[in-house]
Amino acid sequence: MSKPFSHLDLLEAESIHIFREAAAQFRKPVFLYSIGKDSTVLLHLARKAFYPQKPPFPLMHIDTTWKFRDMIAFRDRTARDLGLELIVHTNRDGAASGINPVDYAPSLYTDVMKTQALKQALDLHGFDAAFGGARRDEEASRAKERVFSFRASGHRWDPRKQRPEMWRLLNGRLGTGETARVFPLSNWTERDVWRYVLREKLDVVPLYMAAERPTVLRNGQILMLDDERMPLKPGEARVMRRIRFRTLGCWPLTAAIESTADDITSVVVETLTATTSERQGRLIDHDQSGAMEKKKQEGYF
Amino acid sequence: MAGDQGTRSLGAPAGVSVLRDLEGLVQVLTCGSVDDGKSTLIGRLLWDATDLPEDTRATIEKSIGTDGLPDLSLLVDGLVAEREQGITIDIAWRYVDAGSRRYVIIDSPGHEQYTRNMATGASHADVAIMLIDARHGVKRQTRRHAAILDLMGVRRVVLAVNKMDLVDWSEARFREIEADFAGVMRRFGFEQAQAIPVAAKLGDCVACASEHMTWYTGPTLLDVLAAVPSRGTKTGGPFRFPVQLVLRGKGSDFRGLAGTVASGRVAVGDEVRDSSSGKTAKVRRIATMDGHLDSAAIGQAVVIQLDVDLDISRGSVLSQPGAAPVTARTLRSRMVWLAETPLTQHQGMLLRTATDLVPVSRLDIASRLDLETLAEEAVQTAHPNDVIAASITLARPVAVDRFAEIAETGSFILVDSLTGGTLAGGVVEDAMAGAKTATKGAFLLTRQMLAGGVCAGLDPAGAEFQRRADEVATILRAAGVTVEIER
Repeated sequence: MSKPFSHLDLLEAESIHIFREAAAQFRKPVFLYSIGKDSTVLLHLARKAFYPQKPPFPLMHIDTTWKFRDMIAFRDRTARDLGLELIVHTNRDGAASGINPVDYAPSLYTDVMKTQALKQALDLHGFDAAFGGARRDEEASRAKERVFSFRASGHRWDPRKQRPEMWRLLNGRLGTGETARVFPLSNWTERDVWRYVLREKLDVVPLYMAAERPTVLRNGQILMLDDERMPLKPGEARVMRRIRFRTLGCWPLTAAIESTADDITSVVVETLTATTSERQGRLIDHDQSGAMEKKKQEGYF
Repeated sequence: MAGDQGTRSLGAPAGVSVLRDLEGLVQVLTCGSVDDGKSTLIGRLLWDATDLPEDTRATIEKSIGTDGLPDLSLLVDGLVAEREQGITIDIAWRYVDAGSRRYVIIDSPGHEQYTRNMATGASHADVAIMLIDARHGVKRQTRRHAAILDLMGVRRVVLAVNKMDLVDWSEARFREIEADFAGVMRRFGFEQAQAIPVAAKLGDCVACASEHMTWYTGPTLLDVLAAVPSRGTKTGGPFRFPVQLVLRGKGSDFRGLAGTVASGRVAVGDEVRDSSSGKTAKVRRIATMDGHLDSAAIGQAVVIQLDVDLDISRGSVLSQPGAAPVTARTLRSRMVWLAETPLTQHQGMLLRTATDLVPVSRLDIASRLDLETLAEEAVQTAHPNDVIAASITLARPVAVDRFAEIAETGSFILVDSLTGGTLAGGVVEDAMAGAKTATKGAFLLTRQMLAGGVCAGLDPAGAEFQRRADEVATILRAAGVTVEIER
């Protein structure tokens, strides 16, 4: 390669290096697949890291049963097309007790259907490391996150047990009961993820592109009505709007934005020139102050 | 004075240009205390040189303080208003796009005694900004910081002399500090050591020239950062490729060595040497998912296929045959003690190099470096934040370079074999090619013993054989035995 490396070339090489280190050092890693753009980029990097082999770990999706239908279809198609094992885990106890994002506080719902579900799944399969798409630029509390982030038994995040990371030397030797989270996108920004989607011509869930979709306006946020499980409140109306999503999650908790960007290039242009920061669309973060940090200590990804 | 606030916007990408990759990436360490205005400085850089979201700008513009100016340090809250997490080592990462470049700002907060915070941050940095208050001038801390940067291999340093407004923009005061700084830096071998007068709060000489200091004709802080070579542009140096993994293709013929080029470059047809066997082979193919390459240079993550199968595994380093790394069992090193507890005798330890993990047989601490006086004092053990010189004897040889020559293959960490924790991070100052016979008094773990025991039935050349041998050596060391593994 004669042309100088762009910043994305450097970030890509770093992520590949991290994937390979983790695969070499951990006994049984798993790829936490959350279907969104970050997962899409992460999976693409995993494929590059182990080429010509397939990534030597399965994909695992924590299914709250409230993901957009388009997400589930995309998930199944991706795993099938790439010939990768896909583990889908749902917290059956939580689902059986009727915990849902419509009637329960987002913090409780997230704890039961995401945090607890993730812990169950990791324990069930005995995974000692899990790849995730978290980035340090996402939130202030993540600015100090390590590339290899350790969890004590019970998946507790203990700030005092985190290891300093020097040079490119990643230390994956686990203590008793410990597991690790591995973040190959640590040094990527939201912009980088989008630029990379475009540069590598990656397929993303159609929900990122604007289309006419059934919506309701609630608390000043546009929510998409993906199925019939969320009844309208008095005074609310089902309205077709041209919308797209900046982040994807459980549909009753994910706000849309009105947009006409209906192809990936215009979405990226619109996103990169946006005037507001990313996580506004994710309602769980507004539920309580310091939400993310607290969730992390409880074992959220 | 407040009039120029908020109107500047340099290098903010607009329209379709945001779709292009940035041309380079530079990692910048910021050191200095909160009192010196570090958050304001980083905030100012973000404010003047990047396209912050409008909602963020609006929030900051409302934050007028008693001095009538917006509080730019709020842009980096989270970094500073962090809940103190006791004695953990924390560096915060922030990403700034200015001009056509990505700057990764690495902030090592904490008390000046937190050498390990700064050493950790410095290990990732291409350039360091040392921040001081113009009223206080060069302090002991500056020398201390310079010593750590030097040790960790940072070659470029900028002294940002902040709060120039509070010394009436005095050129005399700046020149005095500049001279003191030059005096401190003379002891070290930095490639670049530049002092710049700034006023982060007002913006002078951060991203824009100063209207108040017309006597200063030098570069702004951003000018200096913009001139630092990007990562991945450092050419030259002998080829180094620490092998991370062996990958196999669908057909049986492809056996690829996965890794990242740590130094120099390699091309198809080049002869390379395997550090573990000493044998050489030719590069047959350099593979990536995006197609085969003719050559690969420092920083590139690739898969190398050789023309003959040398049975190479993780831990080996491929190199240029004429300029190979040293395969050594004894290392003379300098390290920063990162653990929260002092070194204990017979602590089971492993040394991790780029991709190898080797049991430590003995660790002999020679001295501790006093960062204030730069004098060495003889010590027996290592305490948190100590910079120590030590000789490390390994249970088997490892391929390394002198850090001063090749940083990537000349750095290491020490790992606690029981907890897995990282005990120390260090650099190889000298490596002695290993003697074939065991060190006097050491217990030799022979291949025969291993093959008849924990390694029974395993391929003696295989990775699992070596891994188990390493574990046995580690346990013996924890029991107080100096142990070596027969090659």
